[in-house]
Amino acid sequence: MGVQCNAGRPVQRSAHGGTQHQPLSSKVTALLPTTTTVSDRRQVAMAMVVEAQSAGAQTTEDVLKSDLKGSNTDRAPKKPRAKRPNFNELHAKPLPLDVYPLPAFIPHNPISIVRIAISLISHSIWRPKSHAIIHKAYFSPETQSVHVTDPESIRALWEHGFWGAGSLSRSDPRWLDQEKRRRGIDAAATSEEWTKGRRDERRQMKLERAKAQREAIEQQLREEGKLGAESKLEDLVGEESVTESPRGTLYPADAANPLGNVTGTEGSVVKEISKAIAEESPDFDIEIKNQEHLQLTFEETFFLIYVLGVLEVYQDDITLQPTDLLRLFCEHSEFTPTKRPIQGPIASDDPFLLNYVVFHHFRSLGWVVRPGIKFACDWLLYLRGPAFHHAEFAVMVIPSYSHAYWSETPELVEYSKGKANKDWWWFHRLNRVQSQAHKTLMLVYVEVPPSRHMNTGGKDEMLDIGAALKKYRVREFIWKRWSPNRNRD
Amino acid sequence: MADEDEDVPNLQAPAVEDVEDNEENQEYLRTLSKLAQLSIYSGTVHNTSSLSLPKRGEKDFESHSTQLQLSTLETSRAAMHSVLSWQRTHNPKAHLLAMYHEASNMACVEKVKSSHFITIGRSWGGKEWLLPEEALFMIERGTLDCRWPILTGEEGPEEAGEAGEANKLKDCAPMSLQGAYAAFLGFEGGVGGKLTMEMWNVYAGLKRSGYVVFRHGDWDEDRAALQPLKPPTIDPNKKPALLSGFFAEIWRRISQPTHTVRAENLAFGPLIKPGLYRSYADIYRLLHLIPTHDRTTPPQFSLPSNPANPYRIHFDVWKTHGSQRFRKANRPPPDFHVCVVDARETSIPNAAQLNDLLATVPDDPPPTTSTNIFQKLKHGTRNVVLAIVDNGIPSYISLLDSPFEGEKVYDRGVRGGRGKGRGGGRGRGRGRGRGRGR
Repeated sequence: MGVQCNAGRPVQRSAHGGTQHQPLSSKVTALLPTTTTVSDRRQVAMAMVVEAQSAGAQTTEDVLKSDLKGSNTDRAPKKPRAKRPNFNELHAKPLPLDVYPLPAFIPHNPISIVRIAISLISHSIWRPKSHAIIHKAYFSPETQSVHVTDPESIRALWEHGFWGAGSLSRSDPRWLDQEKRRRGIDAAATSEEWTKGRRDERRQMKLERAKAQREAIEQQLREEGKLGAESKLEDLVGEESVTESPRGTLYPADAANPLGNVTGTEGSVVKEISKAIAEESPDFDIEIKNQEHLQLTFEETFFLIYVLGVLEVYQDDITLQPTDLLRLFCEHSEFTPTKRPIQGPIASDDPFLLNYVVFHHFRSLGWVVRPGIKFACDWLLYLRGPAFHHAEFAVMVIPSYSHAYWSETPELVEYSKGKANKDWWWFHRLNRVQSQAHKTLMLVYVEVPPSRHMNTGGKDEMLDIGAALKKYRVREFIWKRWSPNRNRD
Repeated sequence: MADEDEDVPNLQAPAVEDVEDNEENQEYLRTLSKLAQLSIYSGTVHNTSSLSLPKRGEKDFESHSTQLQLSTLETSRAAMHSVLSWQRTHNPKAHLLAMYHEASNMACVEKVKSSHFITIGRSWGGKEWLLPEEALFMIERGTLDCRWPILTGEEGPEEAGEAGEANKLKDCAPMSLQGAYAAFLGFEGGVGGKLTMEMWNVYAGLKRSGYVVFRHGDWDEDRAALQPLKPPTIDPNKKPALLSGFFAEIWRRISQPTHTVRAENLAFGPLIKPGLYRSYADIYRLLHLIPTHDRTTPPQFSLPSNPANPYRIHFDVWKTHGSQRFRKANRPPPDFHVCVVDARETSIPNAAQLNDLLATVPDDPPPTTSTNIFQKLKHGTRNVVLAIVDNGIPSYISLLDSPFEGEKVYDRGVRGGRGKGRGGGRGRGRGRGRGRGR
């Protein structure tokens, strides 16, 4: 993909035209000898483009296109297109734990019984462990997250249940592969590249559509005699006969060119070419250091520790226990972290607790729950995981203060109203975003227990986490737009 | 332009001249010629079924100074103006007279002459009575001529004799549209059951869209009655097979050893102790911790009855396809339940309000034949349509109670099926139109 993009740029310049690029040919030819590798055909093509500018843009394009095709087919055996990994195999485990199923029982095959017996006996003698490895992570108060730096742990946590997000990637921690591919070293294709390819394709489609529309308008204008056979729509803008059309919204004459590149200056062309040349030489084989780490949200961390027990979190080389973590996460759950540690009981409507309750609820039902900040919601629910399906549900957590405790005093009533009441504009903003992103909006109401139920006395007394979490209660409501015109039949 | 608006023939003249062999323009011309005929014979019987409003064409976002664009714009403007300038009159044959009844804030129709009454009004005492929203709707669309009663104080209009009243009706002062709005909105008895502007907006909007709309209940109660659960359908063919059941039980015990979470693990974690697990479903079953709303027990109100609670069912709505067989005296179960709220007076409902609102709509679980988890979740068990009206602009939201607890993702045979080929699901979206992130 990158190949065509880089080589495609000089064509745009040539089509944009002109004499102003004329001095470039000498620059490019001057650059060519400096490259140590046998400059591959694309650079030759580049030089040819610049040289052929005087000969006329149309022919140049053809030459380059045929040349590009040739170079692609030449390269094909050297660098086969990276195959997409088998996601079913990669993400076979929904949790970072190991299970040992018995072999299938096949009634008409007696050997299957033997196989079952063997595995039963062997499992009872050498008891297999569900927790193969305990991952290590570090608490980072500045980023309000927990960092995993060991590459194996990163891969394991991502592949077995889609935990966390790479600090330098979109979500799948693949920065190293991206970087290698950027430098021309062989590595597996990343999902970011697929997305980019798809976006380029869509953009091309839109440009072509715009071109067709524009041509139709020009045709109509010619028929009406307002436009000469050879003149363009821009000429009319210059003459101010097309008044309401600001220049910016006019479609480019050559729709093959992306709009952004039309206004390229000479300097940027040189930059592009030298960049392209730099990308072509994978000779300097420096070991790239992986600078990426996995960031876990507080809720994910707490689930991995308190529920699954596959993670240890360190702060200043001390392992944190679940009860300490709960307190710590509640202290840091607000954007402006409270400087002092919470002394008394934890508020039962702490944002961390509310979010965790919802996270735990959907994780325990088997959904893959991931943060929803990208879609202006609290959580996104995936069936099996982001590698398989788009997120189907966007979850917003709404605290609910139905318990009698919350209406005991006017202050509490006022407090709970302020927390729970959201106006309809808030809701419609949310709903509009979700319907644009094709997500189903779900408001999950969490019944908040009275704060005294979370009472732990002080810092020394241990909080019974399970008992506290069981005091909450969730209910899911799906909200979607209803159009009278669509439901009439 | 504004001056020309007054004169219909003037407007039509340029449109007829601009004959273009364009499908859209033909559409306008047809409409225009029809309207022109009507304006000539106005006052006589209109066959309104042959009339249609001009269609909206494709939208151009900027002027490109083609003659084609200008003329298209001109014809559509002309068509709109001529539709608006068409004089609407009461057809003498179908002239419908009604009398305003002050005590009940209703309108009483002596002689029913319109097919509207299939889906409007209620018979009582040999006459047809229109609720405020129904009367207002009929007046506004020009079907009903409502009259103010003469305040003699001797006898009410319903006690008058047949002939006497007919004469009297003719002599009464006609009710203007402004008068109708003033009279019918907000002067009703009953618990919060006054017709508000918001409710009228929603009623009129739904009626105009072609729905059949009736009040839910009589609006005398704070809220409607609880709706019980639908009894679960039990498959009569299902018999416990003794022998195979025995072996299945043994197999279950071997393959799924029962795990429990000890109290100290629950308190201080981890919930999942290191050990031997046969399947991920076993692990997931141990994870269940957070209680959810139980959708299998009969619903209960969680708030006391309060007339100030805006979340009540206001309208029952039926789709049009049944309107031919629709009998207002014997209505089928409604297709939608609509609750009208004022966007500026209320905030989004809290859990208790939602619970009480949904408890008053019938239980409608997803069909048991459905296997698609998304379909089931998006069908919900109970649903209601919220109409949020902000100063006359309604926004409809369908709200449903989604049975997530019943749909365990880990219990589905997720592997296989959709997971084959390109990594399952919808694959990499080509042709997804707009970009949709992961």
